[in-house]
Amino acid sequence: MNTKKLALLALLVSIVSPVAQAQIKHIEMRVEGMT
Amino acid sequence: MKQHLGRQSGVQTVEVSLRDGKVEVTPKEDGQIDPAQLLKATYDSGVTAAEMYMTARGKIVKDSSGSLALQVEPNRSFALAPNELSKGLEALADTPTMVTVRGQLYKKPPGKKKADASTSLKLLILEVQKKE
Repeated sequence: MNTKKLALLALLVSIVSPVAQAQIKHIEMRVEGMT
Repeated sequence: MKQHLGRQSGVQTVEVSLRDGKVEVTPKEDGQIDPAQLLKATYDSGVTAAEMYMTARGKIVKDSSGSLALQVEPNRSFALAPNELSKGLEALADTPTMVTVRGQLYKKPPGKKKADASTSLKLLILEVQKKE
């Protein structure tokens, strides 16, 4: 039973993690009119 | 402007350099940051965004019209402006390969005084930092 749960968990992690790691890391802007 | 941008969802820190007009935004890891919203918030705070650059990690996908996009979250992707670098990523479309790229998301059209916040953002890749 535990082995089955662990296998399912491993499968879920392998599916979800690549998308979860996808993200915007940094944003930079150049602006005009700032005082 | 720093406070205005800092209030936007998904923003962790905002660094403003008055001398060179540079604003650096570090997103939280919750993935809630929206560059279009940041552009609008910048406009609302009374300054004009001339350019916006983004570094992001994601998967290359092809949309229904066959155009390439960088998917940075399950529900958010940025269309890629075609250039040599985007062509080089075409083979990775719809594969599990993750790429980290830096690119220009927005550039104020010449002659316009104000940024057009309603413009759809296209990512012009300037640098492919990592493929994994």
